[in-house]
Amino acid sequence: MSKPMIETNDLIFEYRATSFEPGSNVQPDGFTALNGVNITVEQGEFVAVLGHNGSGKSTFAKHINVLLRPSSGKVHVDGLDTADDANVWLIRQHAGMVFQNPDNQLIATIVEDDVAFGPENLCVESEQIRQRVDWALGAVDMAEAKRRPPHLLSGGQKQRIAIAGILAMRPACIVLDEPTAMLDPIGRREVMRTISRLNREDGMTIVLITHYMDEAAQADRVIVMEKGSVMMDGAPAQVFTQIERLRELGLEAPQTTEVCSGLAKLGIPIDTDILTIEEMVEAIDLSGNHGVSDLRGNFSQGKELTTPRTRSGSLGESDDELRKIDRKDGIAGLPVRSNMQGQETAIECKGLGHTYSPGTPFAKRALDNITLSVEKGSFVGLIGHTGSGKSTLIQHFNALLAPSEGTILINGRDIHADKKILRETRQNVGLVFQYPEHQLFEVTVYKDVAFGPENMGLPKDDVDARVRKALSLVNIGEEHFEKSPFELSGGQKRRVAIAGVLAMQPSILILDEPTAGLDPRGRNTILSTIKNMHDELGITVVLVSHSMEDIAKYVSKIIVMHDGTIFKQGTREEVFADAKALENIGLNAPAMSRLFQELRARGLDLPQTPFTTEDATRILYQYLKPLGD
Amino acid sequence: MPRIAIGQYYPASSPIHSLDPRLKLICSFLFIIMLFVITSAPGYVVAAGFVALSVKISTVPFSFILRSLRAIFILLLFTVALNMFFMPGEDLVFSFGFITVYMEGIIRAAMMGSRLILLIFSSSLLTLTTPPIELTGAIEFVLTPLKKIRVPAAEIAMMMTIALRFIPTLVEEMDKIMKAQKARGADFETGGLIKKAKSLIPLLIPLFISAFRRADELAMAMEARCYRPDARRTRMKIHRMARRDFAALGVAGLFFGMILMTRML
Repeated sequence: MSKPMIETNDLIFEYRATSFEPGSNVQPDGFTALNGVNITVEQGEFVAVLGHNGSGKSTFAKHINVLLRPSSGKVHVDGLDTADDANVWLIRQHAGMVFQNPDNQLIATIVEDDVAFGPENLCVESEQIRQRVDWALGAVDMAEAKRRPPHLLSGGQKQRIAIAGILAMRPACIVLDEPTAMLDPIGRREVMRTISRLNREDGMTIVLITHYMDEAAQADRVIVMEKGSVMMDGAPAQVFTQIERLRELGLEAPQTTEVCSGLAKLGIPIDTDILTIEEMVEAIDLSGNHGVSDLRGNFSQGKELTTPRTRSGSLGESDDELRKIDRKDGIAGLPVRSNMQGQETAIECKGLGHTYSPGTPFAKRALDNITLSVEKGSFVGLIGHTGSGKSTLIQHFNALLAPSEGTILINGRDIHADKKILRETRQNVGLVFQYPEHQLFEVTVYKDVAFGPENMGLPKDDVDARVRKALSLVNIGEEHFEKSPFELSGGQKRRVAIAGVLAMQPSILILDEPTAGLDPRGRNTILSTIKNMHDELGITVVLVSHSMEDIAKYVSKIIVMHDGTIFKQGTREEVFADAKALENIGLNAPAMSRLFQELRARGLDLPQTPFTTEDATRILYQYLKPLGD
Repeated sequence: MPRIAIGQYYPASSPIHSLDPRLKLICSFLFIIMLFVITSAPGYVVAAGFVALSVKISTVPFSFILRSLRAIFILLLFTVALNMFFMPGEDLVFSFGFITVYMEGIIRAAMMGSRLILLIFSSSLLTLTTPPIELTGAIEFVLTPLKKIRVPAAEIAMMMTIALRFIPTLVEEMDKIMKAQKARGADFETGGLIKKAKSLIPLLIPLFISAFRRADELAMAMEARCYRPDARRTRMKIHRMARRDFAALGVAGLFFGMILMTRML
């Protein structure tokens, strides 16, 4: 073997008083971000680095590119010591780096000029740059876009241009710092496909920093970091099977792995190192197949399997496990979350259409004939790929945009009937935009949250009461009230921004991608906060999300947008029943429903489609248990 | 999201569009100097002919060129009026109360007006037919000799490029922040000047913060791609004067010569 691509020895890094990590919060003086890290990455390896925010994974990545240098210890890239000034530019050429925000790393106003930026800096000759640029754009499948301006491209396309910009420098290794965090599912897929192809076909060494477990599962090796140290290091199958350990570290295993280990715990003989849906389908098909053909007839006659509760007395120890699962997440299929009694509608659209810049050459039809209704007190999911019209639609709900045709009724009243209703609507319908923390502007957390109620012209006492209530709803303690919002962590900032909308005390709350860019822990906190508000205050919630798993877990009704129209609306079961149709419009069914559809396609007779891992485990257990008997 | 046009580039594939941007920049500059050299009506006729010919070849609709006048309309009106009414002379055309208009004033006003109009037409033709990024490159080229007196030509061009790149991004961002604050009951439309200025605070602060955050991240990304402001760089696109550039230069030279000749007459 040749020398390793990356090698760190007892790497320690402390932030000094003035240094801070751009894009995140200010680090306190002497904060130890890396504490004795020893990582070796071989040439051609594909390594994923996991860890929640603040675990030090980004700091580690920046050491590979000499954007940071060790406080003590050594980092060698391709045998070159990063501490040596003479090596800096050579190392940066060997190990290119792609960052999170696709907008903030493209320099030029034309794609090909941007890709040429790196080689130009390396003083490559003109004709050679041209060759490299064409090759790099081909390698990321963006050859046709070479004369386009980057701001008209999608996030996934921009990120691929950024990768091409690195490729054109002919590196041996690419370090990617959460490259998909700001992308939609299509963009994520595009980028991941590009990365794994570069690794497989061109032997490129890849270091991928990510929050997404399914992305990490595609790597050869997974490293988990926590508090500046390496906690786990091994093949994905080894790492992801330690589900409890991952949870302690603020991470989640892929859902399939979780279900398999749940089944194994209940006594079903199944491999626990399964990562993908395909592997799991194979495993279940094999373990079940010896009996499926004979037993299937018995299943459909003996109804007992679909009504497991009647049998619970006869089950042994493993049944306790089962009951634990049941209690944890209710019963599949029962709409415990939606309040079906309230038949009044909160939002109603009739024949809604919207055209941007009508009558100009730039006119663009964004919405067409949208008719929908959202019941009071319900929890509705709105899905659709980027550009499907979701954002345009939700901006109509609180009158930020006026319809080109059609009407919108909020709580039964036409919001464009007169000015007074319009004003009330803004207060009644709270709208939380994507990355809402980017709208914080006040000196203190308290003042920022007070902005909304103050605009409503409320007396001081009322404002105070509302601010306190809103902040307590999102779990921001009083010790933070007088802090600058910019001192808080990413997740906290976002919760403060949400509180800023809650302080208006809306009866309808619309959230556009509230979990975008957060780590699993942050995602769960935000989502459970929203769910609590819905349950306790009876607020109607419309959740826009790219995560089908989140949608499936929380909402009772789903609206699917495509090309400015409603593609489908209905219950989770109805909408996710056809995974293929969703895939065709750039979406996906949740992992669990895809798994069950695959299993059914293999001839397994599964009664229900689950949306959580707990439900999936329970249903599969009931199916597989008798086969093993 | 509605599209945002950067600058006022009018995409087309005319001979003017495909000229070397450096040539276009220099010719426009020379033309503007010529405009101030002209002293007689025939000179203006030749200059107007030059502009008309260029516009015709460029295939840019005349309405686009005309639109550029809007920005200086008041100035134009003022200049013309000032010259017309206050230029003393001998050949009285008419007088009404305190208003007296002499023939000299009319001629002078017509010349000043034509000068302004031609100036605006020629420079907007330049920006209409040259993408901003190419213009930036041309400016860098023109400034290169000034490197000797420590003018950082390459850095200026880089800054202009980055500004051009981020204008649409920041405009989009501003639109988003504005909507978010409106959703929290902010009012940007009503009220007096002071109230309106105050209402911009919730808009401008987040926008500045975001611009700084972007600048920070961009600087890091540029460094990661081996950018060193003081170091030598090569360029992928090297402009070489083509035959049509020389032809254009010849035509422009012919016109400029004619303009100079009108001065000698």
